[in-house]
Amino acid sequence: MSSQPAVHGQSGPPAAQTPAERVLELNGVHTYYGNIHALKGVTMDVAPGEIVTLIGSNGAGKSTTLRTISGIERAREGTVRLNGRDITKMPAHEVVALGVGHAPEGRRVFSRMSVAENLDLGAFRRSGPDVATDLARVYDLFPRLKERRTQKAGTLSGGEQQMLAIGRALMTQPSVLLLDEPSMGLSPILTEQIFKIISEINDQGTTVLLVEQNALMALNVAQRGYVLQTGKIILSDTAANLAANEQVRQAYLGEI
Amino acid sequence: MAELISGRQLRRVATIGAVAAVVVLYLCMVGLVEAFKDRNVVTGVITLGAVMLLAVPLIAGYRAALPARDPSGPTPGPAQRIVFGLLVGLIAGAVLGVFVLIASAVDVRGVLVRISPPLLAFISFGLPSGLAQLAITGVGGLVGALGALLLVSPARIRNAVTSGLVAVLFMSMIEPLLRPRLEQLDYTAISDFLYKAHGLTEMASILCFVVGAGAALLWQPGNELVRRSIEAAPVQTRRRIRGWTIAVLVVAVLILPQVSGTFLAQVAVLVGLYLLLALGLNIVVGYAGLLDLGYVAFFAVGAYLTALLTSPDSSLGIGLPFFVALPIVMLGAGMTGLLIGAPVLRLRGDYLAIVTLGFGEIARVLFESDALRPWLGGVQGILGIPSPFPVRIDLQLGTTHIFATGPQVLYYPIFAFCALAAVFAYRLSNSRIGRAWNAMREDESVAEATGVSTVNYKLLAFALGATTGCLSGALFAVQLGSVFPGSFDVFVSITVLAVIILGGMGSIPGVILGAIVLIGLPELLREFVEYRILVYGAVLVAMMLLRPEGLIPNRGRQRELHEAESEEEEETLDGDLMPQRGQT
Ligand SMILES: Nc1ncnc2c1ncn2[C@@H]1O[C@H](COP(=O)(O)OP(=O)(O)OP(=O)(O)O)[C@@H](O)[C@H]1O
Ligand SMILES: [Mg+2]
Repeated sequence: MSSQPAVHGQSGPPAAQTPAERVLELNGVHTYYGNIHALKGVTMDVAPGEIVTLIGSNGAGKSTTLRTISGIERAREGTVRLNGRDITKMPAHEVVALGVGHAPEGRRVFSRMSVAENLDLGAFRRSGPDVATDLARVYDLFPRLKERRTQKAGTLSGGEQQMLAIGRALMTQPSVLLLDEPSMGLSPILTEQIFKIISEINDQGTTVLLVEQNALMALNVAQRGYVLQTGKIILSDTAANLAANEQVRQAYLGEI
Repeated sequence: MAELISGRQLRRVATIGAVAAVVVLYLCMVGLVEAFKDRNVVTGVITLGAVMLLAVPLIAGYRAALPARDPSGPTPGPAQRIVFGLLVGLIAGAVLGVFVLIASAVDVRGVLVRISPPLLAFISFGLPSGLAQLAITGVGGLVGALGALLLVSPARIRNAVTSGLVAVLFMSMIEPLLRPRLEQLDYTAISDFLYKAHGLTEMASILCFVVGAGAALLWQPGNELVRRSIEAAPVQTRRRIRGWTIAVLVVAVLILPQVSGTFLAQVAVLVGLYLLLALGLNIVVGYAGLLDLGYVAFFAVGAYLTALLTSPDSSLGIGLPFFVALPIVMLGAGMTGLLIGAPVLRLRGDYLAIVTLGFGEIARVLFESDALRPWLGGVQGILGIPSPFPVRIDLQLGTTHIFATGPQVLYYPIFAFCALAAVFAYRLSNSRIGRAWNAMREDESVAEATGVSTVNYKLLAFALGATTGCLSGALFAVQLGSVFPGSFDVFVSITVLAVIILGGMGSIPGVILGAIVLIGLPELLREFVEYRILVYGAVLVAMMLLRPEGLIPNRGRQRELHEAESEEEEETLDGDLMPQRGQT
């Protein structure tokens, strides 16, 4: 092992930034579900234009981290900052308005509504001509959705539902997009497509925080990554370094 | 026998026969047959008690002749199907026969109070034991076979016969309503032609059957013809036709109380009051998806606020005019909605239902309580609520004389409010607010994550629902001239909920039909008053089996109900936000 990954808390994040430059910044975040201590002091940050991935085994707290950022769960301790602004105690619908788009785990589309209505809801707090622009952009990214505009979301295939969930999150005009396991249950080909689209979205200027089981793919598209284990960040490094890391390879890349 | 009927078919026939036998015995034991054994349907030919008994083997025979669910094995031919029907009828008849035999030998009245000697004589056709059993079994078999025959006959004939029979039954059932009204309007000749001893005359029943059957025969080709000619017509004509249809409907609604007389107008007023409640609850349950079982609280608040503000005898004693008081009442009810809504915001599904049920009861107990008696009047309630509407109208317009009293007058404001509420609800459901509610109902946390403030939209739903419900309460208070806590029990909440579930949640035409069926029909079928709850329950169970999405379902919800039943449950039971699903 040539490069030692930085153990969090001992050295700073690899890409050194001043606070103002960070889109997202979590500091010692603790989140509970009743008595269950799901996040035990998570500290991480995302800089503008980055793709950052958060990997970890089942139940590590990845989804909880995203939910805490978007305000669906509330941190009991610690702070969450968005573009320098404290959003720890802000309700989810206001966090959206400030620019956090969340495509939750498990393709949670509004299944009784049509594709168009789903996307429309993504723009619920917006109005004006740029909504149409964004809609065109989403249909551009996902031509499949355009074909199926009037179809009920519940009757879409799994992959299409995932596209819709991402598209809906994009319609909130996010400055940072939270993606929770976008490849879950998708065929290898579709997974590859989704990852390509994620890069594309990122190229168009949207910062992405990506939670993935498929660590290899995630580390491929991301610039940096964090490894979460039972509610704590245990590693943080550049994506390349993480992909080369022995520990990571054993635990998450299926190598012995 | 082996080649005529297979083992599986025999089992099926035996099962249907057994069910029919149980239903027949049930009808006898519960007293329905006894109660209506002297109520004529066609005077001198058949009574309602007999119709009830015969309907069972008829339907069972029909069912037995239906093709089996499982298509494996040989499909029975028409003759075989009629045999199935015959067998089913024979089984039901034989069981009833044995029952009659036992009941006449042993006195069962200690347990089964409704099994009286006259009833047994009625079932036995007045024949002695033995002969009677033969006759009962024979008639059962015959009717069962007729049911099967109905099924194997061509659809046109089947529809014609069924609709003819329904027409006869319908005309005889509305006798208590129609005959007095006809006599009142001096159409004695017609009423004498139609009715004799509370049943239809033979001539009238033949006429009814022919009209019913003829209508069914002509319905399909006629319908087709009308549709095709409307489609062929130019847009302008089509629009004119639609305009005329609406106009005719409106006029029909407007003159209904004039034609129908006071009693029907009274029923229509009741239907209207419940419709207004249902339209309000539909906002809360149907649109926003918040199961509120304490809706009666808003009805009560509306009624009591109206009483307090308008009655000179109330503790306030200010006696405001109704239309001055109304905005205050609505405001007060809206606040109550917020008050009840705020603490239950975080609750979902069944928890919300239980807590709101409690709120409804708390409201009633408060209105009843002695502590608040000086203000709210305790169990005595508040009296002397003046009506802003004239007690009677007596008008001479040219040659027509318009005369209306009480409910015939009240009917109009109530329906005006209903129309307002319906239009309002309709507009609401298609607005941005409606979309937010849709999203919230489907997935609260995702709705929140797309920017819907679920707190605000829930409160809005509670407030709007409360405001609509209080309108109904206000009109109710005015109609009675007094309010008592006894009028506001949990059954109001349950009934209103049943109306929207039966009609189709979230669908305004459904809610209207639901109110007519659930509130109007029971009032019209006064004869069955003793068995009202029984019939009510049976109708609801049948409905949920046949059309679980309601009579006129909301677009798009129909399919979902069948597809996503398990998912639905999960969603409503979720105590918390996103995580339960999709964890790998
Ligand atoms: N609503 C909840 N109530 C109680 N405990 C919860 C709830 N949601 C999550 N948890 C617990 O919190 C911990 C973190 O869950 P989380 O969903 O964040 O894991 P994850 O890293 O996203 O896992 P996966 O990869 O399986 O999606 C788990 O132990 C989980 O059981
Ligand atoms: Mg997860």
